[in-house]
This record gives sequence, C-alpha cells and structure tokens, in this order.
Amino acid sequence: MSLLASLPSPGDLVELPFMRTALIELTLLGVAGGLLGAWIVLRRLAFFAHAVGTATFPGLVVADATGFSATVAALAVALGYAGGVERAGRAGRDPGDVATALALVVALALGVVLASDVFESGAAVDRLLFGTALGLNDGDLWIAAGAAALALVATVSLGRAWAATGFDPPGASTVGLPVRVADLLLLGLIAVAAVAALPAVGALLVASLFVVPAATARQVARTIPGLLAISVAVAVAQGAVGLYVSLWLDVSPGPAVAVVGSSLYAVVALGRAVRVGTTSVPAPVVEAT
Amino acid sequence: MSSAPAVVTEGLALSYGSPSPVLEDVELALPAGSSLCVLGPNGGGKTTLFRALTGELTPLRGSVRVDGRPAYLAQTERTRLDFPVSALDVALMGSLANGRWWLPARRSDRAAARGALARVGLEDRADVRFGELSGGQRQRVLLARALVQDARVLLLDEPLAGVDPASGERIEALFRELRDEGRTLLVSTHDVDSARAFDRVLCLNHTQVAFGNPSMALTRAALEQTYGDEIVVLDDDGSGGPVRAVTVQHHHH
Repeated sequence: MSLLASLPSPGDLVELPFMRTALIELTLLGVAGGLLGAWIVLRRLAFFAHAVGTATFPGLVVADATGFSATVAALAVALGYAGGVERAGRAGRDPGDVATALALVVALALGVVLASDVFESGAAVDRLLFGTALGLNDGDLWIAAGAAALALVATVSLGRAWAATGFDPPGASTVGLPVRVADLLLLGLIAVAAVAALPAVGALLVASLFVVPAATARQVARTIPGLLAISVAVAVAQGAVGLYVSLWLDVSPGPAVAVVGSSLYAVVALGRAVRVGTTSVPAPVVEAT
Repeated sequence: MSSAPAVVTEGLALSYGSPSPVLEDVELALPAGSSLCVLGPNGGGKTTLFRALTGELTPLRGSVRVDGRPAYLAQTERTRLDFPVSALDVALMGSLANGRWWLPARRSDRAAARGALARVGLEDRADVRFGELSGGQRQRVLLARALVQDARVLLLDEPLAGVDPASGERIEALFRELRDEGRTLLVSTHDVDSARAFDRVLCLNHTQVAFGNPSMALTRAALEQTYGDEIVVLDDDGSGGPVRAVTVQHHHH
C-alpha cells in the first residue's frame, strides 16, 4: 500500500476523540506560542525559551518517578531558571549563551542520570523529552487554555511596554516604563507557557511552538500586530498539519509538529532568498530634509 | 527664558559599582531653555553623566536634580534597526510616559504622535519603517518621541554623528525651537567646532575640566586637558576667547 493510499481523512482529526483533544491542545498552545513567540523573537529570547523548557527535564523525571505533580515540579524549575536569568540581567551580567548552553547540558545530563540510574524510569524519558499529544487529559487542556488566555491578556496590556523596551532600552526607561517589571513578567510568562506545553511537545521541543512559528512570521511581517497575527496563524496551522502527518505516518505528534514548522520556516526563507536574488538592489534610503 | 534651573548637579561623582569614581567633581546649573554641549573623549564620562541625569545611575557622591523626567535620545545605531516599527510607532512610544502604559494607545495619543512627526518634518514618512529611514530622519523621529513625551529636559547622545549637512541644519533649527519653548538641551558631541553655538559648554575627562559659556570653556588649555593628544588646535588668536579645534581619534592596537 502506497503512502498516498493510506492518507487518513482530515475529518479524523475531529472525529477521533484522542485526535480532537490533541487538536484543541495544539490550537490553544498555538495561540500562546504564537503570541509569546512574537515577543521572544523580537526580544531575542529564543535561546532562553529553549533553555527554560529543557531545564524542566530533571524536575519532570523526579515528578514522574515519585508521583509528584509534573506541572508543579516543572513550574518550580522553570520559574527558578527565569528568576535567575532576570537577576543576572539586572546585575548587568547577561547570563550569555555560554551559561545558557551549560545550563542545558547540566539539565539534560542530570535528567538522564536520574532517569536511568536513580529512578530507572526507562520508557518515560522519551515522553518527557518529546511529549505525547495523544495521551492528554482535561487538566492539560485547561492549563493550555490558561496559558493562551495569559498570553493574550499580557500581549494586550504589556505589548507596548515590551516593544518600546526591545526597541530602545535606555529610551524606554526614561519614558517612565517599569522596564524591569515588564521584563520579569515576560520571562515568567514564557516559563509558565513552556510548562503548559510540556505534555504535548516535551522538554526538548518547546521551541517548536514558541520560537519557530514566530521566526517564520518575522521574515514576512512588517508591523508588530502583523507579526503577532501571522505568528499565531502559523503556530495553529503547524499544529493541525503536524497532527495530521502524525496520524498519517504513525509518528509521534510532537516531532511531527516540529518538522512541519521547521519546514515551513525553510520554505519561507528560501522564497525570500529567491525573491531578493531576482529583484534588483533594494531602493536606496532617500534623505528628505 | 525662565531662570529657574532645569538641571543642577553638586559635587557629583559617579561609578559603576566600584568605590573609585569614573567621573567626579561635576558641578553645573542650567537654566530652563538653555543648551549645553558636553565635550570629552570616548570613555571620558559623557554617557555616564547622562545615565545619572536619567536616574539610571545613582551618584556615588553629590547630588543630581532634573526638572521632570528627561528624554534620552541614544545614537540611533544603538536602537534596533531591524525592529518592525514605523516612524509613527516610535513617536507614539512617547505617549507611554502618560502613566497608562498598560492600556492601548488612544486616538489623542496617535494625533499627538502625528503632530510631532509633522513638527520634525516627517509627516509623509509616518508609515516608513524606522530602520529604513536615514540617520538624520531617525534622529528626528526620536525628537518627535521626546516631543510626545513632552520632556522638559532632552539628553542627546551625538545626535549629529553620521547625519548629512542638510538634515543636520534641520535638526539644529529644531534645537533652537525647542529652546525657545523653554526646553533644556544637553548634547554630547565630538565636534568641538559645533560647541560654539551652544549657551554653555561642559568639558569632561573623568573630571570636570571646564564649564561655562563657550568663550570661557573652549580655551586651548581646557581642550588640551580634555582631549590630551587627540586635539589639534587650528586657530588661536591669543585673545583667550574660544579657539577652533578638531579632535583626531588615535587607534591603539
């Protein structure tokens, strides 16, 4: 039987109960990830968003093995990590890529050691690292809905402050913006939303929801509202398409969503490169006085 | 022009956390509606002084007093030129100063931003992306933001660096208008020659070398103490008045 002959009906996404739950979860996370992702790419926090997801891994292993709430454990680790990054930034010491990379290695190594030698979790490691969008419960949906609502409220109320701060930090602080509070809220919100995404995409693929769609949108959007809208649209679409692909090819949904999102990014980047290559030099800046 | 001081520092010493100051003995008073040119070599303390005036840096010793919240205009290369914001969006950021930054911009905020862009002569560029404007236009957009903010004191970091002469003249005309409205301008620059057009000049090199009107502050001795071997005095008529000079950057490898 060829692959094409095995194409499932798109209706299965809503008719099969486990698929429907996964679709709702990925749509809610698409809203959260699309909105926050726009701020993540504008504020150059992509590596932070990836790291805060991965940092939760040892916490998830411990929670999984001891029966403790995975959400609470992950939230504690993620918020602790975000707080540490904010403190370092406030003291004028950017934690920097090296420190972030080190934290990633430590988190992964610690998680693997805990999983294999302390708790002998074995099979759970895959699920904790890459998620399982097909084994979700109502609690996961509510948490994702909460993350989407928080992201929406924060974008409406803090978006102007986040934009002004990212554009010109010293200028924003002299306008009288509480730059530090706004930044802390952004980091904290990314941490909370990353935790909400863990059941669906796991500790390692958080960036596929919170960075990739916004990075794709960033290539074409010319305004911040445009960036937010395209980013959410791409995030929701990649969730649905990824889920369909996972049903079709019988692969895990988390990686399928990640591959679909990354492919779309590559296609848009390629399209732009071709367009820039075929058009003449960009119009020069006109000095009007 | 009101004579109430808009900016006052007394015995000001500043450092970045260490007990030894990077800038000290800054003693100045500026009346509202006046202009100050801040001269000094790179690392001489110009930006450090501005950071104290914005309140970002707490004095190690001495005091700072500024009328209202100053607007800080960084060199536009220090802003994010890849940011998806238009000239109007940037001008509108000034309205965040009205204390309701968590609410969407009002119609009146937008009108004020458009009005400010018109004042700096950029109403027809309102929808152009900030990063696509020329250096001089970007500087004028930041001035528009300061106008929307209605700052009484403006701190400008090298506003004319990399700006073509025509745009530079336009910006200088705007400076005169702002002073006539009673706003106080503090402008840091490397252009010693342009300092003569200001009401007062402050020379900084880790300490306050000179402060006063141009003929008092722009002496050969003061400039040599400020810039060391980076200064070339072109024209000194020996009258003790302001001299003509240029700075040359020595690159140490």
